[in-house]
Amino acid sequence: MRNLRRAQFGGIAGRGYRWTEMWLLVLPAAFMLVGLLTLLSVNNLATPVDHNKLPPLDAFTPAFGLIAALVGAHLLLTIIAPDADQTILPLAGTLSSIGVIMSLRLGPDLNQPTLGTKQLVWVIVGLAFCIATVKATQDLRWIRNFKYTWAAVGIALVGVTLVRAHSFSTNAPSRDVLSIGPGGLSFQPSEILKICLVVFFAGYLSENREMLASASYRLGPLRLPPVKHLGPLIAMLGIALLIFVGVRELGLAILIFGLFLSMLYVASNRPMYVVVSIFIFALGAFILYQIFPYARARVAIVGNAFDPNVALDQGYQIVQGLIAFGTGGVFGSGLGLGKPYVVPASNTDFVAASFGEEFGFAGVLAVFGLFMLLVYRGMHIAVNARDSFNQLMAVGLTAGFALQTLVILAGNLKIMPLTGVPLPFIAYGGSSVVANFIIIGLMIRLSQRNT
Amino acid sequence: MLPDTYSFLLILRIALVVILYLVILQVVFVSRSEMRRAMLMPVATTRTKQVVGHLVVIDSGSTALVPGTRLDIEPITTIGRAPTNTIVLDSTFVSTEHTRILYKDRSLWVEDFGSRNGTLVDQQTIAQAVAVAPGSILQVGDVRFKFAV
Repeated sequence: MRNLRRAQFGGIAGRGYRWTEMWLLVLPAAFMLVGLLTLLSVNNLATPVDHNKLPPLDAFTPAFGLIAALVGAHLLLTIIAPDADQTILPLAGTLSSIGVIMSLRLGPDLNQPTLGTKQLVWVIVGLAFCIATVKATQDLRWIRNFKYTWAAVGIALVGVTLVRAHSFSTNAPSRDVLSIGPGGLSFQPSEILKICLVVFFAGYLSENREMLASASYRLGPLRLPPVKHLGPLIAMLGIALLIFVGVRELGLAILIFGLFLSMLYVASNRPMYVVVSIFIFALGAFILYQIFPYARARVAIVGNAFDPNVALDQGYQIVQGLIAFGTGGVFGSGLGLGKPYVVPASNTDFVAASFGEEFGFAGVLAVFGLFMLLVYRGMHIAVNARDSFNQLMAVGLTAGFALQTLVILAGNLKIMPLTGVPLPFIAYGGSSVVANFIIIGLMIRLSQRNT
Repeated sequence: MLPDTYSFLLILRIALVVILYLVILQVVFVSRSEMRRAMLMPVATTRTKQVVGHLVVIDSGSTALVPGTRLDIEPITTIGRAPTNTIVLDSTFVSTEHTRILYKDRSLWVEDFGSRNGTLVDQQTIAQAVAVAPGSILQVGDVRFKFAV
């Protein structure tokens, strides 16, 4: 059977067609179509579902456009990277189809009927970047050799936003503070910085791996590697953290620090580094907590969100988000039948709450499973990586992805202070979708044996 | 409104969540069968290797190698301390990825892979890829080899 298939499609790839990926892509396509059908049926309900109607034309384009884009990406991967991992694209595709459906559903109620189409455009741009990344990184060495350049580019881009950050008020949403470019086309360089830093850390740590593993200086119970080898590493990390503290985006600081720690641990295999780093981080966090009233306010909300004075003011968003989750219950109100748009930023920061209201606990659990599988595949790629640079890249990208998901979900659920990092693929927003697809592209490339 | 639309919506609602779980199930299934395949044929994944020469251990340094052992040289042979290398030398003088031997234009080329202690061919530290002939001495860290056919 396998040979037969190979013979039939030998012309395309020569090494077998990506059958698994094709079959898996049927599911996001089905999700899109069933979602579309649901939204159009809800439109026909005469009963009091007080929300704006979705124009059918605006609904059809994103649904079929997404399916076409995923199939296109699949066919291109068949040509460019026939042996690469076949589960990553379907997983990312499923998550982004959830994102498009949520934008499609929320658009009319947020008075932006074309929101679904816009999200589709971002997904298509993202897929294009993903394929371009797979194509451009055929030889990973050029990325590795320019590691300082990448770090500098990332920091310079974010530096531009830092200069502008002072023109915003203290409580401005972080996505306004962290974006450059004219309104419609703005993008957040911080997303790109995340990838640049992973490249830098992977390049630097893989070259100095033995230096870190064989420590020479003793400092009490701690043995440190020579300072000149730690210098660039700590400098880069410090600059990145300072920038995020500067723009008051502590969520991203946690993200960067977390992925750095994961990579450091994998590179050195020494738990002591992690323990010490976490201690230093805790100290830094405590100092920041004392300095910034902004951070104090965010932490305080976690404790007293339901306080009558807070619930209608600062805690409004988070309380409404929790009410949305609660309204959804176990099985949700059904797509298009809830009122998730009551929550401020229901399509961006609180998209998880919107999804939770309409798909219920069952849906949220499924989405969490999808994220976890993506992380599992990432770690699987890291384990099978060819050399230490590839391995550290896979670990860093996966850790960043996992932490980002956890930070925003925990924020939505009032487990930890809310931060403005977007939920990968599902939250509406251009740069986040594009950056995550670049990560997917890198993962697909790293999964190839001969990279 | 007809109650039918509501039952129709209920079916669609269930279908949406079921599809999400199907994705999870399918990916888990794919991962499991991949793992099975990797466990069943550990040999099949390493292609039948092509041997283009041999390295004879002269001085084993601080490794557990026995002098006189003949090691195979493949078209791309990497030497280093990491277990991912073709030839693994467990010595503190050897970098994780130390040296690479390539078979190109019918001869063997030795290339340093950015090691800390350098690679020596016939007592000379090499800066770029050099061609070697049978009889050349290769030193990686504290381990010395002789090239043989």
